Amino acid sequence: MMATPIPREWVGLQQFPAATQTKLHELLGKLKEENVSTLTVLVMGKGGVGKSSTVNSIVGERVATVSAFQSEGLRPTMCCRTRAGFTLNIIDTPGLIEGGYINEQAVEIIKRFLLGKTIDVLLYVDRLDAYRMDTLDEQVIRAITNSFGKDIWQRALVVLTHAQLSPPDGIDYNDFFTKRSEALLRYIRSGAGINKREYGILPDGTPWVPNLMKEITVVISNGSKPIHVDQKLIDGPNPNNRWKIFIPLILAVEYFLVVKGIRRAIHADIANGKVDDWEQRYRDLVGSRDPVEQKGSAPRNRKA
Amino acid sequence: MVTLQPGGVYTKSQLLKELETLVSCGMFEKVDLEVKPKSDNTVGLTVSFVESVWSAAKQFKCINVGLMSQSGQVDFDQDMTEREKMDYLRKQERDYQQRVRGAKPCILPENVRGEVLGMMKKQEKVSARMLQKIRDHVQKWYHNEGFVCAQVVNFGNLNTNEVVCEVVEGDITKVEYQFQDKLGNLVEGNTQIPIIDRELPQQLRPGHIFNIGAGKQALKNINSLALFSNIEVNPRPDETKEGGIVVEIKLKELEPKSAEASIQPGGTVSFEHRNIYGLNRSIVGSVTSSNLLNPQDDLSFKLEYVHPYLDGVDDRSKNRTFKTSCFNTRKLSPVFVAGPNMDEAPPVWIDRVGFKANITESFTRQSKFTYGLVVEEITTRDETNSICTHGSRAMPSGGLSMDGPPTTLSGTGIDRMAFLQANITRDNTEFVNGAIVGDRYIFQLDQGLGIGSKNPLFNRHQLTMTKFINLNNPEKGAGKPLPAVLVLHGHYAGCVGDLPSYDAFALGGPYSVRGFTNGELGAGRNILELATELRVPVRNTHVYGFVEHGTDLGSSKDVKGNPTEFFRRVGHGTSYGAGVKLGLVRGEYIVDHNAGTGTLFFRFGERF
Repeated sequence: MMATPIPREWVGLQQFPAATQTKLHELLGKLKEENVSTLTVLVMGKGGVGKSSTVNSIVGERVATVSAFQSEGLRPTMCCRTRAGFTLNIIDTPGLIEGGYINEQAVEIIKRFLLGKTIDVLLYVDRLDAYRMDTLDEQVIRAITNSFGKDIWQRALVVLTHAQLSPPDGIDYNDFFTKRSEALLRYIRSGAGINKREYGILPDGTPWVPNLMKEITVVISNGSKPIHVDQKLIDGPNPNNRWKIFIPLILAVEYFLVVKGIRRAIHADIANGKVDDWEQRYRDLVGSRDPVEQKGSAPRNRKA
Repeated sequence: MVTLQPGGVYTKSQLLKELETLVSCGMFEKVDLEVKPKSDNTVGLTVSFVESVWSAAKQFKCINVGLMSQSGQVDFDQDMTEREKMDYLRKQERDYQQRVRGAKPCILPENVRGEVLGMMKKQEKVSARMLQKIRDHVQKWYHNEGFVCAQVVNFGNLNTNEVVCEVVEGDITKVEYQFQDKLGNLVEGNTQIPIIDRELPQQLRPGHIFNIGAGKQALKNINSLALFSNIEVNPRPDETKEGGIVVEIKLKELEPKSAEASIQPGGTVSFEHRNIYGLNRSIVGSVTSSNLLNPQDDLSFKLEYVHPYLDGVDDRSKNRTFKTSCFNTRKLSPVFVAGPNMDEAPPVWIDRVGFKANITESFTRQSKFTYGLVVEEITTRDETNSICTHGSRAMPSGGLSMDGPPTTLSGTGIDRMAFLQANITRDNTEFVNGAIVGDRYIFQLDQGLGIGSKNPLFNRHQLTMTKFINLNNPEKGAGKPLPAVLVLHGHYAGCVGDLPSYDAFALGGPYSVRGFTNGELGAGRNILELATELRVPVRNTHVYGFVEHGTDLGSSKDVKGNPTEFFRRVGHGTSYGAGVKLGLVRGEYIVDHNAGTGTLFFRFGERF
């Protein structure tokens, strides 16, 4: 696990247009008012959706290597920038899908990297121009939920990249956008087990970096807690310990209900007597003779 | 009755003896034997007789004269006057009436008596031939019902309008045990009599009438002791009590001690010491290895001591057996098995070495309750026999990824634990015309005691219910048609507390969900399997269709390391198909609903 790098000046801010810079300064000020001086943002998603590009855009520098044709590196990277007493930590992660399945190794590496850190916001990145959702998306969402708990989705923003597309079949852009995000949100809701719709959606058109930052501030102040990654979270709730204290009760139920119940059924079987045919016939003809009262047995005419 | 044959040579005394037999048999009033010499030096014999005949009878009575003295013959003293003869006859009659009153009623039912009355009414008078017919009819009834020692010994009261049939039904007076050696010589037996005696059905004891069904049951019961190579249950007349039957039980004991060794160098050494103290206690042991002279890690042994009649032989209300054994077993784990879309995973072998002691209480031959303690050491090994701590799978790159789920609770590859184990089985199934019908419920429980590696505390439980429902209830009997049977089967298994991977419940397999290999569907903390089968009789066998489903109830993630997902298994599966039973083999076509493919299988034995 690498030591936290010394944060550098958020030089990249100066690259943004003036209006963007002003807005950003405002937001940072607001955060400081709320006693938030550090923000840790985790960026996750499938491979090749534009996570590293998004990080580069936010920071304003080329901090993460982006290549359209090469698959990304295996290691998560964290980039820290300060401005006016405010520190922004952005963590870029490798894509979670490899070869059609979840790359569990990548998940483990990310978890280990995050040990000890607190996640304020999760940016879930996906492409706007992906038309269909499939089980891979489901798996990614489930992997994130399993790793950090479903509470992380209270602190998550969905970022849809490659938004400069023309929608197919002449669908209206807004319509397409709504449908696409709805589809993704539905998966998130079912994968995360949440029913509420509470997160902001990036509309199109407006300069997006300050808007993203604005949405981030909204998320932070929505009342949910940041996710602190400790060993316990990484290991996950130990299913071995679940309901262990109830074992004596379970044992009692098993004995008094199940074992005794089956025992009663066995005794009923014996009482209802599955008597062999020959024995049944013997009993019908002769009766059950007690050898003691042989002499005094009253004559009985037996009917066949 | 007539022993003389044409062409035979006889002395005069033989002819007289023949005459005496004919006279005294009671069937004839008068018998005359006339001998006429013929021209060719042979002799012609003419037997003329007058059949005894009595007045017509309107009543028929049957009495059991077993264990009573025989009624005396009417014997006239030559010096008696007519008057004295009459008195004598009347006295005889009174004595006889008393005899009839004192005798036990026989078990001949009303309808058979009615049949006999019908036979008698057809004739005007009661003749000796009629009596023979009656005797045959009555004896036939007794023998058909299994009372093979029953005999009609006499007819009485023939001068009245009532016929009294005296029957010796075959009352048992004594049970005798005889031990024989291999050649049939009488020896002293090692087995204690009370343990054989308690296997006898109630109906084979003094006071009951000997019935061949009881004899066969006794044979079966004594045979189940597995102490004898040959058993005979035979009735013989009691010499001391007239009319009584002694049940003779002849037994040839099996050799109690044996030791066998086949060392090649691979092989087995085994020894047995059975029927210790004559109470059917036994010690059995065996050691197997591929190289007994230099055993490596594949030494497998078993040592078992069985102690029946734990509450004493005389307490017939309880039947508890104490059993203790040391064992080691090696099995392939179905938890570390690849799913259908993956290459085969490297196998994980589960070695268990340990000791167990338990008590089994038998309620019936099939239903029982077992409870006891198990102490074992479990080692997980890979195919090279070295200890492996994690499951592994083939990577698409070609290498092996060793970061699979941990195989043991301790993480070291070796676990030690002690736990209580209990199992109660209620099985009232029986065979109706060759098909199994009835219910079977099995509940098994493993309770961890917190003793062992990482102090494992757990409650592992499994409930299996199988119902074979007889749909059309055909008549029971040999050669009668098979019933149509609907089978409903459910199996639930769950674990609360510490669950090591090797004890996770595997889904899929010929006894789990048909059509999938062992563990192909996954492994979970809780599983549920449901199956139903409809068996239709076709000629003298069964043709059937079935549906089966198994699911991990979402508990795959609750097994440490999630072996279901690691090996890309689905976690649930359904299959359906049809099959036919051909003797001991089942031929089935099973469709794997997950993959949508069907396969033909041949299997031995029963699915449920």
